[in-house]
Parts: sequence; C-alpha cells; structure tokens
Amino acid sequence: MISQKINYLNNYLKIAILNIKSNIAGNIFALSIMSFSFFIMLFFMLSYINIYNYMLSFEKNNTMIIFLKNLEDTNTNTNTNTNINTNTNADANRAHPYKLIAAHIINKIKKFKGVKKIYYYSDKLSYKFMLKHTPNIRTILGKINPTYFPHIIKIHFNPSYISKIYLANIYLRLKSMRHIKFVYYSKLMEDKINQFVFFTKMMGFIVLLFLFISSVFVSYSAIKLIILRKQNDIEILKLIGATNNYIKIPMYIESAIGSIIAFVLSLILLSVIFDIFIYYKFNNFLSFFKINIIFLNGFDILIIFFIALLSSFLGTYFSSRKFF
Amino acid sequence: MHVYKSYDKNYIIRDLSFNIYKGEFVFVTGPSGAGKTTTMKMVIAMEKPTHGQINVFNEDISAIHPKQIPFLRRKIGFVFQDFKLLVNRTVFQNVALGLEISGVSGSIIAKNVTEILKAVELYQKKDEYPLSLSGGEQQRVAIARALVQNPSVLIADEPTGNLDFETASIIIDILKSFNNKGTTMIIATHDKTLIELGRARVIDITKN
Repeated sequence: MISQKINYLNNYLKIAILNIKSNIAGNIFALSIMSFSFFIMLFFMLSYINIYNYMLSFEKNNTMIIFLKNLEDTNTNTNTNTNINTNTNADANRAHPYKLIAAHIINKIKKFKGVKKIYYYSDKLSYKFMLKHTPNIRTILGKINPTYFPHIIKIHFNPSYISKIYLANIYLRLKSMRHIKFVYYSKLMEDKINQFVFFTKMMGFIVLLFLFISSVFVSYSAIKLIILRKQNDIEILKLIGATNNYIKIPMYIESAIGSIIAFVLSLILLSVIFDIFIYYKFNNFLSFFKINIIFLNGFDILIIFFIALLSSFLGTYFSSRKFF
Repeated sequence: MHVYKSYDKNYIIRDLSFNIYKGEFVFVTGPSGAGKTTTMKMVIAMEKPTHGQINVFNEDISAIHPKQIPFLRRKIGFVFQDFKLLVNRTVFQNVALGLEISGVSGSIIAKNVTEILKAVELYQKKDEYPLSLSGGEQQRVAIARALVQNPSVLIADEPTGNLDFETASIIIDILKSFNNKGTTMIIATHDKTLIELGRARVIDITKN
C-alpha cells in the first residue's frame, strides 16, 4: 500500500514535470505574470513594513512634560494652606520653593510604574535650553528675564509600558496634582499616529487581499489554459481509468512548482533592487530624516510565500473544478 | 438487457439485449448509425442507458457510482478507431500509462511494457512519438496500451477502420492471440472482410 502511494507520488511528479516541459512557452508566460504578481506583493510588504516601522517610532514617543504653576497663581487661586514659603520676599527665595514642589512631585511620579527617568528644569535651565535650541530668536530671548520662564519636569517612560491608555492614565493623575499648570504629551500627535497606523494596517490588508485575489486569478488563468490545451489528453486518461485525483494532483504540483520558482525569482529581484537602493546611498539620505530602511525578515517572506502557494492552490482548485 | 438509449427523445438504440461470455471473441456489427459505438461506450460507462440494465462482471453498471467508473475501466481495455494516443509521450510512455494509473512500480511497468511491445512487434520503436508512426503502428500501440494491464475484456471500436487489409489482418491476429490467452474480445465493426478474417460469433445490431 505504501509502495503504491510512493509510486503514485513518483508518477504525479513525473507527469507534472512532463507537463511543464511540454509547454515551456506557456509556462514561462504564466511564470512571468506570477513573478510580477508576487514581486508586487513582496514590494508592497517591504514598503508596508517600513512605513509601519517608521510610524511605530512615533508611537513610542515616550516623553511627557509638566509645567509647574506659578506660585503667585497658586496663592491667589487657592485658599488652602501650603507648606511652601511664599512671603513678600518671593523673588529672593523663588527658586527654593519650586525645588521643594518639584521634589515633592518627582517623588510621587517615581511611584508610577514604567517611569524611566525624570528631569527637573528650573526657570534658568529652561531659559538655557531655549537659548540652545532656538538660536534664531536668541536676541529676543536675551531681553527676557529668565525668571519668567517656567519650571519644567520632563518624564521619560519605559517604551514597553507605552500605550495610549497608559499615557492617558498618567496624564490624568498628573493633571489632578496641585502645583501643576498643565501636562503636555503629544496626545494629538499620538492620536493622529494611531489613526495613521490603523489606516496603514487597513490599507495593507486591503491591498494584500487585492494582490492575493489577482494572484489567484493569475494561477486560475494559467491552469485553465493548461487544462483547455490538455483537454484531449485528460479525456484519454479518464478513458483508460485515471481517477480525477490522478489528473488533478499533477496540476497542483505543476502549479506549486511554478509558484515556488516565481516566488524565488521575485524575491531575488526585490533583493537586487533593495541592494541597488542602498548602494546609491539613499539610505544616508533617509537616515538624515531618521528613517531606517529595513528588508523583509524571514517571517514576512514566509507569510508572502504561503500566500503565493495558497493563491496557486486556489487558482488550480477553481480552474480544475469546472472540468472534473 | 432491454437497453434503450436516446438523445433528445431520438432513440439510437431500442430494446438491445445480448450476452457475451468469458473468453469469447465477438464481433458487434451493423450499419453506420446503428449504435455500435454507443453500445461499446455504455459498456465502459462513457454513456448511460436511457432504460435497461447493463451487467459487466455481474455488476449493473447502468447505476454505477461516478467514483467507481475509473476502476471499472481499468478492468476493460478499450481501443479506439482514432487511437487516442498522447502525442507528447513516446510509445513506451503511452503503453505504460495504464499501469502508471494503477500505481504499479517502475520496474514492473518496464517489464510488462517491454513484453507487450515485443508481442505487438513495436519494441524497436519504443522511444518514438506516435505522430512518427504509421496508422497500423499507432493502432498496435493503442492495443498494447489496452492489453498491458491484462484486462479481462478488450473492446475495440472499429480497430481497423483506417487501415489497409494487410495491416487489418495483423491487428486481428494480435487480438486473436490475446484471446487465446483468455482475454474476452468485443470488436465493433461494420467491415465484412474483418468479420470473415476473424471467424467468430457476430452480434448484428440493425438500425432502429
């Protein structure tokens, strides 16, 4: 029984190879169309992964900035007693209470899970920071009293903790604290990026589905042509006792061989184009914008390979179903 | 028994009944359009009777399940008037087809095909393609293909239809030799000279 199955398998393979050999021109034509289809699929996957990767770098924007309230505002707006010294000689002792407040807030923040680093910028440090990073308006900044600059606390989060809900939760907890004027984290940006990532995912899915269907259609047409051309042979085989499986299985093998060759060709083509892209220093150009271009990893290639194989099987199934 | 076959209410065969016994050599004859080919096709389940019952190997094949048809055909060799050879396969590969379909191993295929090709005197041409052979040689390849599986019954539909008298007599001799080994032969023909050559029982189907 096993030896008979091996004989059958051997025959199926022989017939498939014989079929390929007997229609070299037709198979090359089908192979080129399939290669093109798979190339588009792989190229799309490469583009999609790079876009997605780039988007994720934004998603992991792990900074939150807290602006402390001006102490005069705190005293006027609230009637509660504070331990902070805000006497009339405020200017002289200004830095000191802010440090106390900052230390108090930092201690609270330290208790939050996922906080990596906390920096405190006094008004003078904020001023220096502005001078350093905005050289164009240095002359204007020079005329401003550094004490008018806000006291800032900058929080860095552990990227593995970052999520929309986590950041929103931290934001609300900080916002409810006394002495905090407002909390800034790129919430709007975060939302936009999340939307864009979602959009990219959906578009990716739709495009991949479209490419998959077109790939099925290519396989369907290629195998249908083979069947139409071999209709006479199929009829003879049936008359001498061939089962439907005996006729169909070589077609599946033929289609799978075609898909594998087409896939390998398209992968080589993509790899060559990618290397040319890198060779001509486009990578340097992109890295200037902090865009890191990556090639498909094994898993991505495997996904496309299975999609390619599945499309060829479905194409064969639909085309052969009509005739058997 | 009592077989009827119609296409669009036009009856080709009406109330046809006959028996063929194991090991017989039988000619089925009749004028063109009498239904000889249709009768042969019904025996290998290529066509279904409109009414009646066809028993092959004590089994009613008029109600055979489609999945069983290939297995029935493996037990019955069929030779067509137009040979029905695969033009992209060599003589050897064409003859080996039946055995490959049955899942026989390569070594047994090689042995059996060599034997049958020697029997029909075509071993020298085993690597040639059908289109390079003469009509008689192509018919011998078709007979070899039908007989290589050692079927119990061989049906030949006008096996000498396109062949000259000498070639036809060679074909009949081959069929007779296999009949002597025990294969039941059913030959559908309208050729009277062939029937005279064969000297066997004749089932005459009259038109309508």
